Parts: sequence; C-alpha cells; structure tokens
Amino acid sequence: MSSRGAASSSGGPQLGTSESSTRISKKPKYSRFTQQELPACKPILTPGWVIATFIAVGIIFIPIGLASLFASQRVVEIVHRYDEECVPPIFSGNQLAYIQSSITNKTCTKNFTVPKRMKGPVYVYYQLDNFYQNHRRYVKSRSDKQLRSKAGELDTSTCKPEATTGNNSPIVPCGLIAWSLFNDTYGFSMKNKVLNVSKKNIAWKSDQEHKFGSDVYPKNFQSGGLIGGAKLNASIPLSEQEDLIVWMRTAALPTFRKLYGKIETDLEANDEITVVIQNNYNTYSFGGRKRLVLSTTSWIGGKNDFLGIAYLTVGGFCMFLAIGFILLYVIKPRPLGDPAFLSWNRNPSGIMN
Amino acid sequence: MTWDTSKNLFKSNSGRPSGMETKNSAENSSSAEATLNSSSSRRSILSSHSKASGNSIREVSFADFGSKPVRHGSRGADSEGLSTSQKEISDEDARLIYINDPVKTNEKFEFAGNSVTTSKYSFITFLPKNIFEQFHRVAYIYFLAIAILNQLPQLAVFGRGVSILPLAFVLSVTAIKAAYEDYRRHRSDRIENNRIASVLVNNQFQPKKWKDIRVGEIIKIHASETLPCDMVLLSTSDPTGVAYVQTVNLDGESNLKTRFAKHETLFKMPEKEKVIGLIKCEKPNRNIYGFQANMEVNGRRLSLGPSNIILRGCELKNTEWGIGVAVYAGRETKAMLNNSGAPSKRSRLETHMNIEIIILSLFLVALCTVVSACALAWLLRHKNELNYLPYYRKKDLVGKDYNYYGVGLEILFTFLMSVIVFQIMIPISLYISMELVRVGQAYFMIRDTEMYDEASNSRFQCRSLNINEDLGQIKYVFSDKTGTLTENKMEFQRVSIWGVDYSGAKSQIEPVGYSVQVEGKVIKPKMNVKTDPELLQLSERRNDTKEGRHVYDFFLALAACNTIVPLVTDTSDPTVKMIDYQGESPDEQALVYAAAAYGFMLIERTSGYIVIDIQGERQRFNVLGLHEFDSDRKRMSVILGCPDKSVKVFVKGADSSMFGVIDKSLNKNILHATESHLHDYSSLGLRTLVVGMRQLSASEFEQWHSSFEEASTAVIGRAALLRKVASAVENNLCILGASAIEDKLQQGVPEAIESLRIAGIKVWVLTGDKQETAISIGYSSRLLTNNIGGSSEASPTPVALIIDGTSLVYILDSELEEQLFQLASKCSVVLCCRVAPLQKAGIVALVKKRTADMTLAIGDGANDVSMIQMADVGIGISGQEGRQAVMASDFAMGQFRFLVPLLLVHGHWNYQRMGYMILYNFYRNAVMVFVLFWFVLFTAFTLTTAINEWSSMLYSIIYTSVPTIVVGILDKDLSRKTLLKYPQLYGAGQRHECYNTKLFWLTMVDTIWQSVAIFFIPLLAYWGSSIDISSLGDLWILAVVILVNLHLAIDVIRWNWTTHAAIWGSIIATFICVTVIDALPFLIGYWAIFEVAKTATFWLCLLACVIVGLIPRFVVKYLYQYYSPCDVQIAREAEKFGNLREVGDVQIEMNAILGPQRR
Repeated sequence: MSSRGAASSSGGPQLGTSESSTRISKKPKYSRFTQQELPACKPILTPGWVIATFIAVGIIFIPIGLASLFASQRVVEIVHRYDEECVPPIFSGNQLAYIQSSITNKTCTKNFTVPKRMKGPVYVYYQLDNFYQNHRRYVKSRSDKQLRSKAGELDTSTCKPEATTGNNSPIVPCGLIAWSLFNDTYGFSMKNKVLNVSKKNIAWKSDQEHKFGSDVYPKNFQSGGLIGGAKLNASIPLSEQEDLIVWMRTAALPTFRKLYGKIETDLEANDEITVVIQNNYNTYSFGGRKRLVLSTTSWIGGKNDFLGIAYLTVGGFCMFLAIGFILLYVIKPRPLGDPAFLSWNRNPSGIMN
Repeated sequence: MTWDTSKNLFKSNSGRPSGMETKNSAENSSSAEATLNSSSSRRSILSSHSKASGNSIREVSFADFGSKPVRHGSRGADSEGLSTSQKEISDEDARLIYINDPVKTNEKFEFAGNSVTTSKYSFITFLPKNIFEQFHRVAYIYFLAIAILNQLPQLAVFGRGVSILPLAFVLSVTAIKAAYEDYRRHRSDRIENNRIASVLVNNQFQPKKWKDIRVGEIIKIHASETLPCDMVLLSTSDPTGVAYVQTVNLDGESNLKTRFAKHETLFKMPEKEKVIGLIKCEKPNRNIYGFQANMEVNGRRLSLGPSNIILRGCELKNTEWGIGVAVYAGRETKAMLNNSGAPSKRSRLETHMNIEIIILSLFLVALCTVVSACALAWLLRHKNELNYLPYYRKKDLVGKDYNYYGVGLEILFTFLMSVIVFQIMIPISLYISMELVRVGQAYFMIRDTEMYDEASNSRFQCRSLNINEDLGQIKYVFSDKTGTLTENKMEFQRVSIWGVDYSGAKSQIEPVGYSVQVEGKVIKPKMNVKTDPELLQLSERRNDTKEGRHVYDFFLALAACNTIVPLVTDTSDPTVKMIDYQGESPDEQALVYAAAAYGFMLIERTSGYIVIDIQGERQRFNVLGLHEFDSDRKRMSVILGCPDKSVKVFVKGADSSMFGVIDKSLNKNILHATESHLHDYSSLGLRTLVVGMRQLSASEFEQWHSSFEEASTAVIGRAALLRKVASAVENNLCILGASAIEDKLQQGVPEAIESLRIAGIKVWVLTGDKQETAISIGYSSRLLTNNIGGSSEASPTPVALIIDGTSLVYILDSELEEQLFQLASKCSVVLCCRVAPLQKAGIVALVKKRTADMTLAIGDGANDVSMIQMADVGIGISGQEGRQAVMASDFAMGQFRFLVPLLLVHGHWNYQRMGYMILYNFYRNAVMVFVLFWFVLFTAFTLTTAINEWSSMLYSIIYTSVPTIVVGILDKDLSRKTLLKYPQLYGAGQRHECYNTKLFWLTMVDTIWQSVAIFFIPLLAYWGSSIDISSLGDLWILAVVILVNLHLAIDVIRWNWTTHAAIWGSIIATFICVTVIDALPFLIGYWAIFEVAKTATFWLCLLACVIVGLIPRFVVKYLYQYYSPCDVQIAREAEKFGNLREVGDVQIEMNAILGPQRR
C-alpha cells in the first residue's frame, strides 16, 4: 500500500519521535484472539460421525417420505382436460377461428364421477400448460403503483403495450398480465342441484389489503381492439376482484394452476358432477392446454408424490451409504492420526531431495 | 556506466542485472557495491570481486585498467570516474542553480517548490480521482460495463438502483478507506510544510516556512535541526568544513556520516559578503548515495560529489551550524523521490486464480450462448404467433411492434441480458474479500508475539498486502549472511600480534571497562570488550620491549586507521562521561572499542588531527592523509604525523589485499604465523583484518605529499588519481598482526535453518564473505552438516555446492547458467561467497527463471535490495544496517528465526485459507448463477429471475460474504505447535494442495450438482401447482444461502465463536432480509415468504435441497480424508486424538564446527 511509504517519509518528525520513545515496548499484547488461540471445536469426519450422520438422515427422511407419500395418496384429485373436447368437431381443424369468433357458442358441458369421497372444502383450479406467465415481457408488464391507489392511475409506463387507450387515457388495470386475465367460467351442479362455488377468499389477504387498492376501479379495461381475456366489472374495486388478484400473482412455472373457487361441501364417492364450461380463453394460439381440477388438500398441499418419493429415495440411499461405510470400516479401517501414514514416513528418502 | 548500475539497485525490479556481462561484471558489481556501501573495512571483507584472489599486483593493474570507483577517495574528494563528470552533465540534462539568487534560478526552469504533498487527493479531486484509480481494476470495469448495460431500457434486467448496488458498495468501502488514509497524510503534510528554517533574505538569516523555500536560496541549519531540502554544503562551523549528519530518516543508518564543504566556499560568510556562484547538477534522481555536480565560484570550477550534499530529512549533528544552498526542493528531493512505497507484487495464487477467472468467464459466455441459442430457436418456432401469445403480444394497440426489434437484435439483447443476469459468475466480491482477508491475516501476523523482537523492539511488518499466501509456498530461501544469519554486532574476539595469538577466550574475566581521567572527569567507552590479560599487560608496558612496541603500533593502528567519530556524551553521573564511537562500519567500531579497552582510547577526531589517550597520556597525531576504503584496494590507510615527528603509514585491510602489499622478505616467520592464525580465525567463522605499517622517510613523505595534494585538488579523475597515490604509498608494509571479529550468529538460526530444510525449503546463502568464513558459518548454522559429502558421487548423501563470486561472473548470463542451475538443484545446500549485490539478484533470477517454485530472499542491508526485489517474496531484517532492505521488502522482521513461524505457521495458514476462500467464492457465485440459469430454461429463455432482484444483489454482499471472510482470516487447519513440530507439513503449500486446477474442476462439478439439487427439487415438487414466482424465488434463494453456508460449515476446521456467529448469523440475516424484502408492498413478491412459509412443502423442499446438495461432497470428502489422507489430515487427527508419536527419522546429524571443506 502506497500509504505506508508516504507516511514514513513525509514523517521525518514522526520518525524522530519514535526513536526517542523506543523504550515504550511495541510488544504485541497477548490475547487468545490475536494469537489465534481462541477456544475452538475441531470436528473431524470420523467414520463414527459420518455413519451416524447418514443413519440420522435416513431415520429422519424415511418417515417424512412415507408420511408425505401417504398424505399425497390421500388427496383426491379430479383432473379434466377440456380444451380439445370443448371445441365443436366442425372447428377441430381451425380451433383458433372458433375461439376468436364472437358468435360461436362457447358453452360446453361435461360430466364426471367423484372417484372417492372428497372432504370439503374441495378446491377448484384451472390448470394451464405451456403458458409462460414467467415470460420477462409479461412479468414486467404491470404497474403496482396503479393497482395500489387511485393516485397512481397514470403510472402506466411499465405496462406497454397495454398501457393506454388510443386517446391516451390510462387503462386500469394496465399491462399484459391483467389484459390476459383468464375468462373461462365453470358452473357445477350435482343431481341437478347447483353446487355452490365460493369465489371469496381465494386470493391472499395481503394482496387484497395492500397491493390492490379499494379505491381503484377498472377503467378502459379490455376496450381496445384486441381483447386478451376477461372483462372486469367497473363498479367493483380491484381489491375485491379476487380472480384478477389470483391471476396477477404470476405463476413460477409454465405449467400452473390457479385457484378458481372452493366448494365448501363434501363430495361423496360416485357422485356425478356436471360442469358447464364457458370455454372463452384462447390457449389455442400457443398450443396451451386447459384443465379443470378439483382437489382436496392435505398438510403437504395438493397431490404430489414427488416429495415423498424423493425423501424415501434420499433416506434409503443414506441408509445404504451408512451400511456401505460400516462394511468399509470393518474391512479396511485406518487408525486415525497414525504418523506412519505421513508421507515422509512412508517414503523417508523423499526428504532430502 | 557506474551510475547506471548503481541506479539499477534503486530502481525497483530492474529485472536482470543489466550490465552483467562476463567481462565487465566485476567492475560493475564492485563499483555498484562501493556506491551502496560506506567505506569500511567490514565491506572489505564483504567486497565482491576477487579476481585472482591474493594477487594484488594484478588487482591494482586491473583497477587501473578501467574500473570506475564511485566512492570518494580522500577527504570528500569527488566520485567521478576517469572521464570527467563535467562532460557527463550535458547542458540539457543539468539544472542550473544560481547561488543566493532564487529569482534567477527559478525564472527559466520551474523547479519544484519545497512544499510536499504526499496526500493524493484534495477535497475536490477526491471523488473523480479515487474512482478513476479504483477503475484500474479490470474486474471493476467489467461490473461498471454491466451496470451501464443494465441502464439501457431494452436490457434493464434489474432495477436501476439495484444494479449498481454491489459496485457502489465495493467502491464506497474502498473510497472511505482511501479518504481516511489521505486525511492523515494531509495532516502530516501540513505539519511538515509549516516547519521553520532560517533562510538568507537580504543578507540576513530570517525564519521562513519550509514550504516557501526555493531552489537557490541559502539556508542555515543549526545542530540537531532537520534539513528542509537537499542542499550543497557551503560552509560549516568546523574550520575544515566538516559536517556530521544523521541519516536515520533517510536510510535508517543511525551512525553519523561526514559531509564536507568545499574549501573555496568555506570562509565565505553569506551575511557579510555576497556569495555568487553557479551550480550545475544532475536532474533529480532517487539515488541517495550519488550526486554529481560542479560549482563555479570565483571563476573556479569545482566538482561536487555525494559527500558535498546534505539531504532532506537528515539531521545535522555534532556540528554547530552549516550553511548550504538548496538544490533540490520538495518533491524533487531524494528523500521524496525514494518514497515510492512498498513494491507491488502479485501473489502466485492470484495469478493462478486469474486463469480460473478466465475459465469462469468462458462458462459465462457458454451459458449466455446457450440461452441465446435457445431463445433464437424459441423465437423462430413461435415467429408467427408472437402476437397471439397472451404473454408476449408483439404489437401494441395501434398495431406497431412493441419492444421487438427483429430476431437478430432480440438475440443480441438476450445475450447481453444474460450477461447481466449471470454477471456474478465473475466474483466481484472475491476481490474485496481477498483484500479484507489479507488485512486480517496481516493483523494477526503483526500481532504475533512470537515474531516480536525484543532486542530491536520491533514487530513484524507487512509492507505488501498482496502476497500473504505466497508465504505458504516457498521452495527456495536466499539469505544474506551478515546481519541476517548473524547479528552484525561485531565482537572483538582474537588478535594476532607479531605472530602471537592472543585469545581472549583463555581468560574468563568479565570485561573490565577501561577508563581515563581527564580534568577530573572519567571517560569511559560505551562498550566494554573482553580483554586478554597477557596482552593487557603487554600493552600497559608500552614501548619498553620489542613486543610492547609491536603491540603499541598495532593498537595505535586500530585506534587511528578508521573513520570513526568519537562522541562524548554525558551520563547520569556528572563525573563520568561516556564515549560513543560513531562510524559507518560495525567492524571499525569493534576495533576502536577493542583498542580503547587496551588503553588506546580515541578521544577526538577532526579532519586535521586525532587525539588518542594512550595509557592515560593524551597524544595528538596529525592526520596527514587518509585513503579511504574502496572496494578495489580493499584496504584503507592513514598517514600519521606522530608526536615524535616521525611519519607513519598505517594500513588495514582484507588479507587477500594486504598480503600483496606486505614486504614478504621481512619477518617471514611472523608472516607465516599470522597467515596460519588468519586461517584458524576464518575457520572459526571470524572476520579477519590484517594490519600493517611503514615508516615514511622524509623524501618518501614529500613525494607522497605532493602527489596527494595534486590528486586531491584535481578536477578530473580525482578518485582514480587518489587511488594511484594510495597504492603507491601502501606497499612494502611491515606486518603488525591481524584481528578477528566475531559476527555472532543470531539466536535460533541453526534451529531455524534445520526447520526450513525439513520443510523442504532449499536454503541458499549468498554472502560477501570469504569462502572459509562462509563455510564455517555454514557449519555453525547447521546449513552444512557432517554427512554432506563435498563432491561425493554417492547419490543418497546430500551434496553442498559452494561457489564464489568470481566464478559467478563467468556463469551468470552465459550458457553455463543452465548447468549451474542443474547442479545447484541437485544440491541440498548452496553457499555463494564473495558475491556482489547484483550477483545476488542474478542468482535469484537464475532460479526464478527456471522453476515455477516460489523464491524468498531475506536480507538486511542495502546490498540485499536487488535480491529482495527480485525474489517472489522479499523479507527485510530490520536490524543494524540501514532501512534500505526494509523499504524494498514485502515483509520486515527483527530476526532471521522468525522466518520459521512466518513460513511454517502463518504462511501455511494464509495459503490454506486463501486457497480455500478463492475456491469457495467461485463455487458460491457459480451455484447462484446456475440456479438462475436453470430457471431461465423454464421461462422461454427470457431471463426472468424468480429470485428477487434485491436478494440476488445482496447475495454476495450480505447473505454469504461474512463467513468466507471470517473463515479466510481465522480458520486454522493445524495448530502452531503441530506445524512447528512437523515442518514437513509445509509441503502442502509447495505441492499446491489447497488450490489447483483439479480442485477447481471438482468444485465446479460439485457446484453444478448442488445447483441442480437446489433448483430441480422445488421445481418437481411444485410443477403444476399454484405456486407463484416470488414464493418459489424465496425458496430458491433461501436454499442457496443455507446450502452455501452449510457447505462452508462442513469445511470449517476450527469452530470458534466468530465462526459460529458468522455462519449462523448469515443464515439468520438472510431470513431477515428476505422477510423484510417481502414486507415491502411495492415489490412484486409482497408477503410471499409469509404465505409460502406456512406450507409444509416449503420446509420439506428446503431440507431436501440442502441434504441432497451436500451428500456427494460429504461422501467424497469423507472417503478422501479417510482412505487417502493427506499429511495435514493425519496431523489434524493426531492433534485431536493426541497420539502423535515421536518420529525420529528426520533428525539430521549436526556437528558444530568442522574443518573447512573445499569445493
């Protein structure tokens, strides 16, 4: 460091004074810290520790795996893909025309049977495939300021290309995300009785309270030539538009589900459920699939065997490793800290090279 | 030519010694040494060139033949060579100074004023200048470029503020440090500039601030005042124009140096008569031992040399006042020009690291290319549907393309954006971490009580902060002998007078201080010397017997034939005065103290006479002439006019040079006896000097006197003429005897050398000493041992190579170099004797050029500077000789034996820590990059980051930075005790065990595996679920941070509370930061962590990521440590389980002193 040299030379007088004060000892004060002798624990990977660690991992992982696999198995899930089926056969060659046309009948009725008893609440999801809600262009295309308060209404600069209408009045909510709001609807009935789907409390409370303003009302929404998806009731504030709020929590992965609503009643096994689908949303342009999902829930969430299997595999593998290490230790032990293994003791002539 | 070589020594790293052609190197090196060294008999032993040793005739003729001595001959004569110095200063190279006319002096040339600024910045320039300096680092420019790229709207991956955060952080930390340092410099500058000196203004000396002094002004300095600038001496309080200066602030040598005013200016009193003159001197340069100028006064042209100039920073001592004219001021003074700070070297590890950084940048390019290629494929596949994709929608409301510039540009943008996203692949934080770690390591090295030297009250010094870790990889140690292996505290041990050996060792009498009474006051020498009782008796008997007369002459020679200045100082007892012998050579001091002990006390020295108290009787001897030591003659002589009116010449010098000028026909027996005594002495490792004398007849004296006068007033070629005169009078001498001085081995040197050798370090000793002396020191320091067979061909016995400077002249810089290296590398010990400073550097370069092994040079004197700068690591011993070596060194310490804790303990630790830290930093950042990369593959290659941008920026600032620094400073693989007990463990560094290409690739494989575990476990667990991007991002960042910190935790060897605090603290800090970030409603991920942390899946994923990520490393580490343990591992186990057994097979037999073994 150049500072040292400078200090020592410009400091003619300083050096002089240091000379006169040589009697003051510069001996560094002893402390365990400065001598790097702080009390310390020195773990060493001994066979005992390693084997114990692996057994412990195995013991922890296998039960967790079993439990989550069991929980996942108990989840009842009905998945129904309808995007292909709901296009009338006439349009099967030209699905895009069907979905883009405003005159075609989009209603589509499906029946399915509940395979197992589903204890309420039964969650209704829609699942989209191949839909990149995490596309950079898409993720950025929103204005949190605008969503939060009326004052931020004009803050649409990040929303392009869906920022303002032709005459420069702001679109609320602006941006591609809101614009592409999912607009298929499902009506459930069982034994000709309407099954009530609750659309309340499907969004995060935190979003409703702090991210979407209660004084912000939709404005100029879906008014342009290109309609991306659902329209919003202009008299309901954004904080109450739970479908929008759910949709705007953009999914992490290109295959995702979004909560549509909750059926609060239990569904018994072999119940016949009829669902009337308004097949409005255009996934045909990009080959995306649409599915309707009814699912119960467990402590591990929805149906997903992966975690259980992963835990079982890892736990089992650790157990296997532990056994392997035990065998290895029995067959070929090495005394720890034996100086005979030091390289210069194994090869004494190597010292004087 | 002489100037060139001598300057080379001061230029940092001038590379290979330039002028070392076979033919001329002897002259070059010797003259260079002479420039560096002060005149002294000690140097005569050290001196390098011994062409045809012992053959003085050849030497003299050789010297005449054209070597150019630099040292002034007599009484401050000039140092020009045969060619005139006047010619060498051409007008355009000279600066002209009109004495006492600063206006005229400065009107044509703008000479620097005398105010000094060591501070780098002013208030205004600080910011731009400091930032500009910081951007000299390539890494910073890289990050700046990325930050700038990120500001372009098309490429804005991160928010504007976020993207410059890391760079701003690093820059501001460094800037704050620089600002503080500069503030301190400003303060010391202010003090310095406002000091007062007395300057001649309007024919009166008036006080003036230092900063206002201008070149050409006449300045008066009083005793004990510091010189404000470099001045040519005009007159002093001494009638002969002598001034004594202490140069401790300049080169650290605390003894007094004599400087001379020219006779022509001596009696001019500037107050009374105006001094008019013109000085023509060379341009400012940093050679503090050289000065070349001439002065025109009263129409006479005088030449000026280094003995006529007094330099800024020195103190005037022992002289009432001195008057001089300022020639160099301010930043042009030699002191300031020498103030270049510590040399900058780059550590081997860092050089190696740069290769890996290049590999990492190739990784980076590869990742970016993959992303761009995939993006291209994706775009081409969806080319026609882009506008229909709800998440793309190419066109805006009026149908124009929005933010779409065609496939080509889109791909380019993708590439650049991916560089921005993956930027931390090149770890910016590594640079600042390394700096901090080195500071921390330096702190501990400085604080190490084991490396504190009681004797000199000096701590270990880290002057260069770049190469701490190199200390752990040293393979060659090049050591100076005098002052490094030995104490350089000379002790008069034995003496041979007139063929009789008087050994003080026979008596066990405690040294009795000799003292004399003068005017009721007792004068004592400051140091007591062991005396031989028999000799003491003889010396007291004085001239009575023949023996007594020889003893008288001998001690008179010792007391008179030197350049020592006696200083009488008061003691606490008012009746006792202490006499302190100040001189440039410790040998001379020892000899004068010895003479005093035998009753020949030097009391006073002026340029004209000396006063010696001989057995209580004061005698005054006129000094008729003094031929100072030079490295060609390797002797000095003094011509004394004795009280009995006889004129005698006393000569002392190295045996090789003295035997040539001694009249061999006289006293053959005595000559032989002395020779054999000399042989004995040097076999004991003593430094010998031979003393001779001759009485001059009146005619001889007249002849000498006239030629001496002529020579010393000669303008051209004065030094050579003087040498000729000296050689003429120094002959046909009668031998008086020889003295032997012990240069004691420093404490612990043999043990230290043995430790170093067991550690696999080759120790080469490079010394200016004689071969016999060098060999015996070799034995006593256990460098050479009994079982080293000189030239034995049996391969298992270690072989030592002893080579002298004369041979090296022919070897260095020739094709023989390679052969010498081959030979030397087969030897376990190499001893080079009689080597010149530049040859030392040449030898270091010889090894450095041919191996990749690290070299270390250790020395204490100015003659070691070139070697210290040449070696990979230079260590200065802050001992008796000046500070030149320390100033040039990377590390400085008080004792040679500290090399053992420095290398074996601190070096080992530093290397291990730094190596691990670099690898860990690579890993840490690469894991993060790979996690980002995997995600990009699932976002249609559009470089969305699931991990919050704040988190990814804080990642290397807060989340993971502290533990690596703490571990880099504090972790220890082995305790000091073990490392010192088993020096072989040092081999880990020499074998690059902690950082090598294989480890790098292993780490990278591990990195990829860990990133896969972190990324894909949550991906699969959440595939097709309702997880949102922020929640998953939080999971990923937490998984990365925990995994990365646990990875470190597995590798930490010693857990003390700081380690615990750092590692667990970082994980907790990360949780806090993630929580805080998710509590900010304006960010996209608002409340995500709270929502997702409620689910069991989140925690299960986290646990699975960490465990799965760590398993392979854990398994491999265990298997490697258990089944293929390295030495360090075994020693660690032994340390822990305490069953280290003594292993006796490394004991090297050692014998104290044996007969010398010749090459």
